[in-house]
Amino acid sequence: MESKVAVVGAGQSKYGESVDKSVKELFLDAYIELINSVDNGLEPREINAVYIGSLGSGGFQLGNLSALMAEYVGLPGVHAVRIENACSSSGFAFIEACLAIMSGMYDVVIAGGVEKMRDVSSLKAKYWLGVSGDTEYERLAGMTFAGLYAIMANRHMHDYGTTREQLSMVAVKNHKNAFLNPKAQFQNKITLEKAMNSPMVAYPLNLFDCCPTTDGASAVLLCKAEIAKKFTDSPVYVAGFGTGTDYLALHDRETITSLKAAVLAAREAYKKAGIKPKDVDVAEVHDCFTIAEIIAYEDLGFCERGEGGKFIEEGLSSMEGEIPVNLSGGLKAKGHPIGATGTGQVYEIFNQLRKTVQKPARQVKDAEIGLTHNVGGSGGTAAVTVFKV
Amino acid sequence: MAYVSVPLYKRTIPQRYGLVGLRCKKCGWINFPPKGVCKNCKESLDFEKVKLSGKGTIYSYTVISAAAAPPEFSKQEKYGGTYVVALVDLDEGPRIVAQLTDCKPGEVKIGMRVKAVLRRIYEDEGVIRYGFKFKPQEEDLNG
Ligand SMILES: [Zn+2]
Repeated sequence: MESKVAVVGAGQSKYGESVDKSVKELFLDAYIELINSVDNGLEPREINAVYIGSLGSGGFQLGNLSALMAEYVGLPGVHAVRIENACSSSGFAFIEACLAIMSGMYDVVIAGGVEKMRDVSSLKAKYWLGVSGDTEYERLAGMTFAGLYAIMANRHMHDYGTTREQLSMVAVKNHKNAFLNPKAQFQNKITLEKAMNSPMVAYPLNLFDCCPTTDGASAVLLCKAEIAKKFTDSPVYVAGFGTGTDYLALHDRETITSLKAAVLAAREAYKKAGIKPKDVDVAEVHDCFTIAEIIAYEDLGFCERGEGGKFIEEGLSSMEGEIPVNLSGGLKAKGHPIGATGTGQVYEIFNQLRKTVQKPARQVKDAEIGLTHNVGGSGGTAAVTVFKV
Repeated sequence: MAYVSVPLYKRTIPQRYGLVGLRCKKCGWINFPPKGVCKNCKESLDFEKVKLSGKGTIYSYTVISAAAAPPEFSKQEKYGGTYVVALVDLDEGPRIVAQLTDCKPGEVKIGMRVKAVLRRIYEDEGVIRYGFKFKPQEEDLNG
C-alpha cells in the first residue's frame, strides 16, 4: 500500500506520578513537545482535528474530554472526538486520525491520549481498572485484571512449557530499557532474582509481572503524505494498520493463550504494509503484564506459536536482538497511562525511526520499519500499526 | 460504588442460581452465559432453556493474592486469605469462570474434575449475592 499518511511530530509528557499536574497540563506538555518537534514549524491554525484516547481518567471529566484538551492548548473550535477502547484508546485514536486523512476530509490531525490514574484513591482505582473486562461474570467471580492475564499465563505454561523465569526476563529487559528513558516511570534496573521473588499478585504472576498505574499524556501529528515534506525532511510514514476485536470474557474466546484481536490486527497491518513479521526492525508492544509481551511475540509472528518464552530467553527481543521490543521500557517500566499508551508507543517508534531518541544509548541502529501493538482490556480490542521511513 | 447493581444482578438469577443456558434451536449450540444472537451460527435468536449439570473440568486457574482482590471481595479475602478463580469447561460444552471452594489453592490442578455448588458470592449494598462456585468432584478427593 502506498503511504497516504505521515507522522511529522510527536510529544509525550513524563510518565509517572504527576502530583503537581492535572490531565490538562499533562496534555499541554505533550502538545508543546509535539509542536517543537515539527522541524519546519507548524501554525496551530493548520490543525483540522484532534482525536483523544482516554478511558476516563478515573471518572474525572467523563464527558467532552477532547474539547477540553483542545481548548486548553489553544485549539477551540477544532473537530475534536474522544475515542474509548480501554487501554488501546489512543492506538485507535491514531487509526481514526489516519482514516480522517485518508477520507480526504482533513489534512493535518492530532492523535493523542491522556490518563490521570494516580489521583484516584486505590479503592476507586480498583473499581475503575476492572471496567474493561467482562463485568457480569469475570468480575462476579472475584477476578482482577492481573488475574485474567494470570489465567492466560497458567495455561500458556501448561501448553507450551513457558517458565516463571521467562516471564521475569521480560520485566528485567524492560526495566533495563527504561533505565535509559528519561520519560519512563521507572528508571531502575532490576535483577532476575528480584523480579522472580517479588510478592505474588495472581498466581503465577507476581508484582514485577505487572505494569504500574501511571499519569501521562502523549500526542502525535499526522498529515496527508503529499504535504509531509512541508513540515519535515524526515517524516515517518504509516505503511499499514489493522484492528481487531474479540469477546470481552475469556470464557467466550476460542483460545486464551493468544489474543485473537491482536492476531487479526497484525494480519491486516502486515498485509496493507506489504511486509512480513521478520521485516520489523523495532517494535513497541502492549506488555501490561509480562505474559502479554510473550503472547505478543507469537501473535505478531515474531516467533512460532508457543515459542514466545524462548524468544525472550534467547535475547531476540533485546536491544541487540533480532527485533528489539519495548526499547522505551514498555508499559511495564515506561508506564501505562491507559488512554495515552497507544500514541505514546507511536512517539517512541517515531523517534527510533528518525534516530532522535533522547539518549543515544537507547537508539536502535539502522531501523527502517517499526511497529506498534496496542491492546484494550484483556484483549477485547487491539490495534497494530506499521511505520516506515 | 456497587460494581454490579442489584437490578443488573437480578436479571441473571436463572444463570447464577440454576446454571440455565440457552440451546440454539437452529444449530443446537448451548449458549452460556446467554448471547443476543447464537454464538455458534451467529444467525439464530431462537433458543430453548436448558439446565446444565454443573459438572466440568478445570481449563486454567489463578490464585488471587491477599490485598489484590476487588473491593467487594475484600471481606472474603480478609477471612480466607487467597482464593482461586478458574475457567471451567462444562461437560455440555460451555466454558465459564467462577471461584473454587472447599479446596486449598495448592490442591488445584489444570484438568481437575469439579462440580458447581450454590454459594454466597459477596454482600454489597446490604444485599447478599448468591451464585455458583465449583468444588472438587469426589473421585478426585479419593484418588
Ligand atoms: Zn446457533
